[in-house]
Amino acid sequence: MSASEKLLLQAQDVTVRFGGLTAVDAVSMNIAPGELVGIMGPNGAGKTTFFNAISGVTPLTSGQLKVDGRSLTGALPHQFAKRGLARTFQTPRVFSDLPVSENIRFGLMFAGRRPRKYVFWGEEKGVPWALRDTASILSVIGLSELADLPAAAITPSQQRVLEIGMALSTRPRILLLDEVAAGLTEIEVEEMARLIRRLRDELDLSVIWIEHAVKVLLKHVERVIVLNQGKKIADGKPSDVVRDKEVIEAYLGDEMVNDSEGLT
Amino acid sequence: MNSNANLWRDVLVLFGLTGWALALPSYGSEFALSMALTCLMYVALSTSWGFFCGSSRYLSLATSAFFGLGAYTTAMNLDTMAWASAIALGSAIAAAVAVVMGLAVLHLRGTYFAVLTFGMAELIRHAISYYEKSVHGTVGRVLTTVPEMSTIYHTVLLLAVVTVALSIWLRRTKFGLALLGIGGDEQRAQTLGVNTRWVKVAGFAFTAAVAGGVGAAMAVRWTYIDPHTAFNPFIGFQTVLIALIGGAMTLWGPLIAAIVFSILAETLRLQAPQIYMMTLGLLLILSVLYLPGGLASMRWQTFKDWYRDMRQWYKDTRYEWSGEKARDKQRAKERRIVGL
Repeated sequence: MSASEKLLLQAQDVTVRFGGLTAVDAVSMNIAPGELVGIMGPNGAGKTTFFNAISGVTPLTSGQLKVDGRSLTGALPHQFAKRGLARTFQTPRVFSDLPVSENIRFGLMFAGRRPRKYVFWGEEKGVPWALRDTASILSVIGLSELADLPAAAITPSQQRVLEIGMALSTRPRILLLDEVAAGLTEIEVEEMARLIRRLRDELDLSVIWIEHAVKVLLKHVERVIVLNQGKKIADGKPSDVVRDKEVIEAYLGDEMVNDSEGLT
Repeated sequence: MNSNANLWRDVLVLFGLTGWALALPSYGSEFALSMALTCLMYVALSTSWGFFCGSSRYLSLATSAFFGLGAYTTAMNLDTMAWASAIALGSAIAAAVAVVMGLAVLHLRGTYFAVLTFGMAELIRHAISYYEKSVHGTVGRVLTTVPEMSTIYHTVLLLAVVTVALSIWLRRTKFGLALLGIGGDEQRAQTLGVNTRWVKVAGFAFTAAVAGGVGAAMAVRWTYIDPHTAFNPFIGFQTVLIALIGGAMTLWGPLIAAIVFSILAETLRLQAPQIYMMTLGLLLILSVLYLPGGLASMRWQTFKDWYRDMRQWYKDTRYEWSGEKARDKQRAKERRIVGL
């Protein structure tokens, strides 16, 4: 097996244009299994558009996408979901009329569906134990007690966790998290980061995490990609990236470099 | 979800209602029978409409088009075809048109979808008129071979029962859940693995197939058929009204509302057609304002809430009109408390 075949997600020269505006400009990125990658960039840098492009929500203007070695260029979102790519949205988009448990069951019924051991019964094949059914997914994300409440009735921070649960219910191999920590208190952010790392470790996921809170991101991820005005300007270890001249100019400012001296 | 307990409840209710409707011809008068027929027609139409449009929140106004297509299929083929196959053909044609129409317009949402389906219904109506005029040289058709009233009644009853039964069953399947997801947040459903395009087209085709079948069966009620009676947009509007007033999201809402409506229609329409239309409008306004979930969402608690709100409103009004509110304000001002 060559190195490129091992990659879970390959994005090559992904470009998205809206009329005259180039929101994402020839961004390439490779994600290996089990990686925890952060994406950061100033407002309007094209982070979310890039996410939409690699999850099929926004069609590519040009470029190539491969998930698990198979080309998904031009595919619809449900095909991405079936190939094991799950995402959350910036503002929680849960099914607010349905109970929390139904929100989880939804993904299990569609992209998360796997063949059973004896065709109609028995456990589903090739599924992590922690994601075996609705109840177990709820306990992984810690919302078991709220299972019967309508999703509209839980707090926004719980809805964010539920979003992650819904993404997990598709039994993904790549998890795209779009600003899951936005608007949370400091303690909640820390809990969220721990949850993300735990998911990555226990479920053998690759995680790509967009976040505005740079400090949290740099503290937890192993690799960070910086976007600015639709272009990728840096890609590497957090400690290297914060020292990158272009990144400092575009985004961080000197203050941040001094703050992150502790990171090595 | 406790869908299993509800499943038995639903099946038993359907069973009971079916028995009742089956027994009706033997003791009911002719008037009661024709009322029941209208009722069953709207039960089938609005239950199927509610199943797709209610859960996916795609407001379709094309019901009259599918109904008319079914009716015209019967009118054209009844001389050469058996009754059952004419109805099957009517519903198949309506479903086929719905698939084509769905592929063309189901990517639109909200108002655009509603307006486009209405436009397409009008298009189909005028196309049929044009076809009739230019090919057959007439506007209308006289139906010569007409089956007996009991045959029509049992056919429509069968269609209604099958529709409600399918609605009971499909709501509990993956398909029903997918439609609910599309109604909740279409893009989210897509990212969770739903092929929304086909689910929408299939749901739309189901609605159309029922409307086509009902149209095919009801066509023979009129001995003379022309595009303006067969494609009467009022049938489509009334289906939507019934489903909305009954509660489009619910299973039994459209059925309850259909019963209420057909009684209203038969009693009021003959004596006072204007009052009937006004009642329709008024009911819709009231249900949108005070019962957004429809008649089926009514519970004992709903009445209690209304009572409480009314008392509060009465108290507030009395407080204001008695001048007490103004005096309180004045007093507060004198005490220099601004903004009571």
